[in-house]
Amino acid sequence: MTDLTPTPRRAYIEVEDLSVQFPTEDGVVRAVDGVTFAIDKGQTIAIVGESGSGKSVTAQAIMGLVNARTADVTGHVWIDGQDVVGMTDDELRKMRGSTMAMIFQDPMSSLHPFYRIGAQLTEAVNVHNKVSKKEARDRAIEMLHKVGIPSPEKRIEDYPHQFSGGMRQRVMIAMALINSPSLLIADEPTTALDVTVQAQIMELILELQQEYNTAVVLITHDLGIVADAADQVAVMYGARVVESGVIDDIFYAPEMPYTLGLLASVPRLNQVRAERLDPIPGNPPSPIRLPSGCVFNPRCVYTDRVEGDLCATERPALLPTSPGHMVRCHMSKEERGVVATIALRGLGREET
Amino acid sequence: MSAYVVRRVISMILLLLLLTFVVFVLFSLLPTDPARLTCGKSCTPEIIEANRHRLGLDLPVIQQYWEYLKGIFVGRTFAKDSPDPVVCSAPCLGYSFKRGEEVFVLIKEGFPATFWLALGAFVLWLAAGISVGVYAALRRGKWQDKTVMGISLAGYSLPSFFLGLMAIFFIVIRLQLLPYPSYVSPFENPTQFLQTMILPWIVLAILYAAFYMRLTRNQMLEVLGEDYIRTARAKGLPERIVIRKHALRAGLTPIVTAAGLDLAGLLGGAIITESIFSLPGIGSLAVNSVNDADLPLIVGITLVTATFIIVANLIVDLLYAVIDPRVRLT
Amino acid sequence: MGMANKGLRLAAVGAVTALALAACGGGSSSSSDSSASGSAGSGEPTKGGTIYYLTNAEQFDQIDPQRIYTGEDLAFFNGTIYRTLTAYKFSQDAAEGTSLVPDLATDTGTVADGGKTWSFTLVDGATFQDGAAITCADVAYGVSRTFATDVITGGPTYAISMLDIPTAEDGSSAYKGPYTGEGQDLFDKAVTCSADGKTVTFHLNKPVPDFNYTTTLLAFSPVPKASDTGEKYGDAPVASGPYLIESNKNGKGGKMVLARNPKWDAASDTYRGAFPDNWEVDYGIDPKVIDQRTMTSSGNDETAINLGVEPEQLAVVFKSPTEANPEYAGRAISTLDPYVRYFAINTQKVPNLKIRQAIAVALDREALRKNAGGDFSGDYADGVIKPNMGQDYAPTGMWDTLLGQKIPDTGDPEYAKKLIAESGEAAPTITFDYPQSPTADKAAAIVVDSLGKAGITAKPNPIEPGQYYGVVFDPEKAHELINAGWGPDWPNASTIIPELFTPTGGFNLSQYDNPEYNTAVDAAKVELDRAKQAKMWQDLNTQAMKDVVVVPTRFGREQRMTGTKIGPVYLWPAYGSWPYGQMYAGQ
Repeated sequence: MTDLTPTPRRAYIEVEDLSVQFPTEDGVVRAVDGVTFAIDKGQTIAIVGESGSGKSVTAQAIMGLVNARTADVTGHVWIDGQDVVGMTDDELRKMRGSTMAMIFQDPMSSLHPFYRIGAQLTEAVNVHNKVSKKEARDRAIEMLHKVGIPSPEKRIEDYPHQFSGGMRQRVMIAMALINSPSLLIADEPTTALDVTVQAQIMELILELQQEYNTAVVLITHDLGIVADAADQVAVMYGARVVESGVIDDIFYAPEMPYTLGLLASVPRLNQVRAERLDPIPGNPPSPIRLPSGCVFNPRCVYTDRVEGDLCATERPALLPTSPGHMVRCHMSKEERGVVATIALRGLGREET
Repeated sequence: MSAYVVRRVISMILLLLLLTFVVFVLFSLLPTDPARLTCGKSCTPEIIEANRHRLGLDLPVIQQYWEYLKGIFVGRTFAKDSPDPVVCSAPCLGYSFKRGEEVFVLIKEGFPATFWLALGAFVLWLAAGISVGVYAALRRGKWQDKTVMGISLAGYSLPSFFLGLMAIFFIVIRLQLLPYPSYVSPFENPTQFLQTMILPWIVLAILYAAFYMRLTRNQMLEVLGEDYIRTARAKGLPERIVIRKHALRAGLTPIVTAAGLDLAGLLGGAIITESIFSLPGIGSLAVNSVNDADLPLIVGITLVTATFIIVANLIVDLLYAVIDPRVRLT
Repeated sequence: MGMANKGLRLAAVGAVTALALAACGGGSSSSSDSSASGSAGSGEPTKGGTIYYLTNAEQFDQIDPQRIYTGEDLAFFNGTIYRTLTAYKFSQDAAEGTSLVPDLATDTGTVADGGKTWSFTLVDGATFQDGAAITCADVAYGVSRTFATDVITGGPTYAISMLDIPTAEDGSSAYKGPYTGEGQDLFDKAVTCSADGKTVTFHLNKPVPDFNYTTTLLAFSPVPKASDTGEKYGDAPVASGPYLIESNKNGKGGKMVLARNPKWDAASDTYRGAFPDNWEVDYGIDPKVIDQRTMTSSGNDETAINLGVEPEQLAVVFKSPTEANPEYAGRAISTLDPYVRYFAINTQKVPNLKIRQAIAVALDREALRKNAGGDFSGDYADGVIKPNMGQDYAPTGMWDTLLGQKIPDTGDPEYAKKLIAESGEAAPTITFDYPQSPTADKAAAIVVDSLGKAGITAKPNPIEPGQYYGVVFDPEKAHELINAGWGPDWPNASTIIPELFTPTGGFNLSQYDNPEYNTAVDAAKVELDRAKQAKMWQDLNTQAMKDVVVVPTRFGREQRMTGTKIGPVYLWPAYGSWPYGQMYAGQ
């Protein structure tokens, strides 16, 4: 179990107090605010949250894809001891696609419609390796084969529009892993796909993770796919991590009201009553005007359990509740336990 | 694809036939009497009638049209029964009695100046328009972007005669940096050719580049927001490759359409620019043909210009398929 | 003279559509107007240099001497490459500038047989560009070409109507020109050469007192038979003057370059100055560019000349319609052109004089002039003879006395109504024929409007310009009021009054047929005393205005300019052109 406190830099990847701000005419947009986590090679961390919670920007900041001209990125992203924050464009570029790679939500639009699959794959090889055309092509075919594309030596000549959505995501995975990166960021990799295909793709990612011993950052709003895939989970809300821990902490001992809401909205096979699928009432906060106290305060139904007006006035800190399990909430540990029991009743998990 | 091309070419020919017919009928309905126009200063009704017969204008319109059409493929002879018949060899687009020359030959003579003018301006405005448009897009919202867009708006709204006159006035007349424009073939005297063409190229290019800057900028902004551009960056591609190979290529389609049609339009003559820079092109020929009420020449130029545009349309459509593999030519 | 065929006259009237064709202007001693700011240009005549002739035209209409018939072109080619038997004196003065001087002939001709026989003796030493001496045969051959009307088209045909050669009823000559040779013997009797080949004699079919004016036309210039290529002669004509055509390329960007004719003997030619070494005609230049180049006058443009100033520059260059701004003084001129614009009243359809007077009185001539371009477009006209016609002009008093009282330029609808009441007829309904153009449409609206104020109903009848004269010369089709314009062929009102106001005239749009008037015209035509004749034309002009045969609206005016080093700068009254043969490029 990894110690999530930032001090000893032991993990392969450590994100430390990462913030991303976009100055705009309407004010500063805080897209990511002090995100911290760490994982090792071969491990997976799932960053979970609604859209707008800052999870995708976190991923892009790690990749150095946040435009330095329009955004301020602060904090540290240590990859194998190197801080990618503050690297020059060119240093970053050299890392992208080789050390770290990324796959995206919509495989339909993530491949260039005008170029053949083969060309897009070999381009990824050639930009980081001095290899012959033949070698690059062989590598592309091998990767396509690995991600389960049938007769890859033929399909390599096809254009993206000649592939189905699932197949395109396989191509994207092949492209991401073609240079054996040590870090793979998968940004909602299954969201745009059919349910049946979703499982196959996740399985593929995990399989290849094992083979390449890659660290995976899985960005998702769907806790459903997290349970089987991740070792750790960080729940994001309003640009901040509100709860993090190993998979069991989050699934079986959640404490933050937002996490509770998320879990309650996950469809379960053993769930009988439809009304149990509770979406959290209200909307996520605007990243321009984050609430001054707890970011979740406006939507939280448990604020009366906190002394005074603390939830509205004071920002809670991310504090350990048990080893490796961090929670950002003003409620006492006892109150959090009570609340969790109430919230998760009927989901068939409070006994465990 | 080849089936598509064949089909398009056939429909193109049909369209041209229809066009020749419409143009022909339209001009035959004009109150102007072409026979009267042929006989210069001393005209008697007898001469007019004789000329009418010489020109075949005494035939029904449909038969005239047929003769005209036939002439394009096999040539024709005017005034067959006179001792001095006028032979117009194929492709015969008519005979200008005003100028005593075959319409096709006149257009052919005017074509090189127009062609070089259009081509040079085309290359310049595409190069300038696209590169500046990309530059502005990459600096969206910054002062560079605003400056470029401001200039392009100005260039867009400047009338070409103004721009042309200013160019002549300052560069040629006042500063004497260039000799007076006098067109020669580039194969005959490349230096004089360049000296003559450089200003009209620039003037015409400025007008068009303004539009292409805006078009390119907007296209680039749209494309740069696409997911596959993010993918390209995530691959670790250098930014210039991302821009050139991935973004520009994807944003090219509407630029190709506009460029193809603009070029075709220019091949029909840039009337004002040709006039100001004394270029003996099709634009000048068109103006003179209208001033002289030289009907056969007007019809001929109309047809040739329309043909350019129709052919350009086909080429643009074929280019689509080359640029965007998703486009199926069926 | 009224001998010219009708086709020729049509050419002159091209002026109506602003095509300055076939005009040989007249002279004037009247101080009221000649060249406005003409001057001697820059200093003394100097030899050398090049004069650049900037034109929007993409070619000369004709280069073949027998086919040239535009005033400006006649002056240009006569001043440079073709010599003629007689010529007009180079002078700014209207009378002097239209007086005759000998050129290829030793004098201005010897008349015999009461004006039916004219002889010219050729000067010694005159040669073609190949060095061959110019003989009587060459002059005769040149004239003979005009008879080949199927080949040599477009030029004046005076020789056909004047020479004593039988003609058929349709006016065609029994001589068919040198190419078929049909009737050659008839021509050879009409144009004879002395035994030494030095004297050419023309035998005319009736007395022509001013035949030596006719011989100023290039149609009477010599052509060596051996070099004649018929229709194509204009491509490689043989020069007799101080210059020859070195090269010519038509079209935009093209140019004609004239170089010195090495065989030209200055001693044989006292007429031309032959100052510049070269002439360069630059074709197809945009009129706006021509203005800019001439105004700026730097480099080669210091010795450039142009033929017109665009409307938008008029106020820049000129202080008034008669005077240039100081900056352009001495090199910009605004002068009367050869044309008179008028409305012909069809006297067959409007026989009542009072009604004709009412039409003239009611017209708003000020609005019409403004529509045509205002002050710079011309002056108010009082007849069909212009002040620049010299001795033939005298004010007619049309708008002061002839109509019974002074008529303002804006018209007098009340007085017009009174005239209609006096006519004993109802207020008429008339139709106004005019060649259609945007400007003419507006003019028609002014006609309708101003006549309407006097109770006259006018209907505009726009006619396609190419067919205009075909329509209005057809008595069946012509209406009551007809738009027209006319310029003389040479400075004698014999090319105006008989043409416009007699039944035998070629341009009698008014269909005027007044026996008394006809008799007076016939008398004037054969009057050999030029001063007496001038007085007769003046009276006939006044008489026609009094009878309101036409309503003159405007004496046309034109503007042109040169670079700073051109001299002399004036409008040569002879052709309403630059005095090419005398111009020089100053240093």
